[in-house]
Amino acid sequence: MGQLIVNGLTTGMILALPALALALSFSVLRFANYAIGSYVTLGAFVTWWANVLLGLPLWAAAGVGAASVALSAVAIDYLAYRKLRERSGLTLLVASMGVSLALENLVRLFAGNSPRAFDVAVARPHRFFGLRLHQEQLVILVTVLAALTVVWLIFRFTRLGRAMRAIADNPSLAAVRGIERGKVIAAVWGMSGALAALAGVLIGLDTSLEPQMGWNYLLPIFTAAILGGIASPMAAVAGALVLGLAEEVSTLFLPPHYRMIVAFAIMAMLLMVRPWGLFGRKWVTR
Amino acid sequence: MGDPMTAYLIATLCVVVIITLAGLALNLQWGMGGLVNFGLFGFYMLGAYVCGLLVKAGLGPLAAMASAILVTMIVSALVSLISIRLSEDYLAIVTLGFAECIRLFISYEDWLTMGTLGVSGITRPFAGVLGSDWGDILFLLFSLAMLGIVFALISLLAASPFGRLMRATRDDPDIVASLGRSVLAIRLRCFAVGGAILGLAGSLHAFYYSYIDPTQFTAIITAYAFMAVVIGGRGSNTGVLIASVILVLLLEGSRFLVDYFPGLDGQTFASLRLIAVGIALVVLLIMKPSGFGRERPTVLAASLRNS
Repeated sequence: MGQLIVNGLTTGMILALPALALALSFSVLRFANYAIGSYVTLGAFVTWWANVLLGLPLWAAAGVGAASVALSAVAIDYLAYRKLRERSGLTLLVASMGVSLALENLVRLFAGNSPRAFDVAVARPHRFFGLRLHQEQLVILVTVLAALTVVWLIFRFTRLGRAMRAIADNPSLAAVRGIERGKVIAAVWGMSGALAALAGVLIGLDTSLEPQMGWNYLLPIFTAAILGGIASPMAAVAGALVLGLAEEVSTLFLPPHYRMIVAFAIMAMLLMVRPWGLFGRKWVTR
Repeated sequence: MGDPMTAYLIATLCVVVIITLAGLALNLQWGMGGLVNFGLFGFYMLGAYVCGLLVKAGLGPLAAMASAILVTMIVSALVSLISIRLSEDYLAIVTLGFAECIRLFISYEDWLTMGTLGVSGITRPFAGVLGSDWGDILFLLFSLAMLGIVFALISLLAASPFGRLMRATRDDPDIVASLGRSVLAIRLRCFAVGGAILGLAGSLHAFYYSYIDPTQFTAIITAYAFMAVVIGGRGSNTGVLIASVILVLLLEGSRFLVDYFPGLDGQTFASLRLIAVGIALVVLLIMKPSGFGRERPTVLAASLRNS
């Protein structure tokens, strides 16, 4: 049972980053970015390229990956989403699906379909109080905590963070008060892309890299974000941890390949009963 | 019918009919009803499997098809109930989640669905009536007849008071609700009818290939349906019909490009094609948001335009 909790928290930690990325762009733009899964994939493969082909150490390669996906996310917003912002929300959803399709296959074009792994030394698992803790799980824990702290600090203590919260709360009031929407939106996409890319690296570390990886995580990412309350970024982190635990505990009585069905069942129940999430404020659009 | 060109033409036309049906279903759900179905391929897959498995279980092909349509319709209604009270963003993720779950279920529950082995030997309706030489032509005629019926029905639906209600709900659900109509009931019916058409499209897929396995059903089907609706113009059934023909001809025709570029292998080519579809989707939404077709104008809208 203790081992299950450790594994569940690891899954949840990995999910926390893209769920936060999704909730971040949603809270500021009220737009659910379906391309988030392909950002995860892109980040993982750019990192793989820097790590295996350029021979950089993984932490530096992850930096390259996060920076390139952050730039790509800003560019995609500038080229595609920005022009659709004034249209109905549905148009943006469909456009993000198109972006997702293009990015995922761009990765497939260069990397092919076979699974890959990062170039890292294999280490023996650590043992604490009878629980196995892999080296990778420690790396995941430290990375996620560090990334969350940075995002929290930006959100809480910087002008940028205050501007983001202002736009999330009331866009027209924020505009009246002279907050430059364009810059804030670019910053949001940059953060969102970097977080998604980091998640891709961690997933690759935990399992393996394949072009399908981001797509497979799309449903859990959305479930985690909705579980926390999709309009409140930090609550999405809590949602991710709850979902990770629930998925892991479900393997006690369901075969492990049905984790996705567990995520779907949780999301369905939640949408019928508490659509504003476990931790979110009672906020709902119809 | 030994002529390979004729055989190729018939095969292409069968694919056109199937994609058109998927496009028309999405046009009803998204184009007219404003309900985004990102899990389109899941409902299509459900239709194909219900039909295929019932035929294997000894049911007549037509009865199996009717059951598949009914089952897909009911499941669509149930799935849409999960999030129908919320904004459309939620329906998009719910349908996507449903589709992935259906695919998992079918891939792993071997006892029911034969899993990754697939279901083979699905007999077509009226198979053997004219002898095996004419099998493909007969099936094409049958598919065209089905398409004709669906097209006529949804054209009637679009022109009916219920069609107006659907479009009004898409444009402003609050106004419809304030006029005493149940937005929930309108959306539910719209999504269910779309689901029934997807069940039909899936059944035709199962008949046409006579063998189905989980790898045939991917989000690419969803992407093609969205392409058809975006090119054809949301709400325009004729536009979607023409767009589907053009789309399939382009996609099928692009196969021949492989011969001209020796460096391209099938895998690279498939990726390039999907990149093009993804980019085209975004570019069309930006440059030509209402597509090339036109939604049938309502009487009031027409008189406003003239005045």
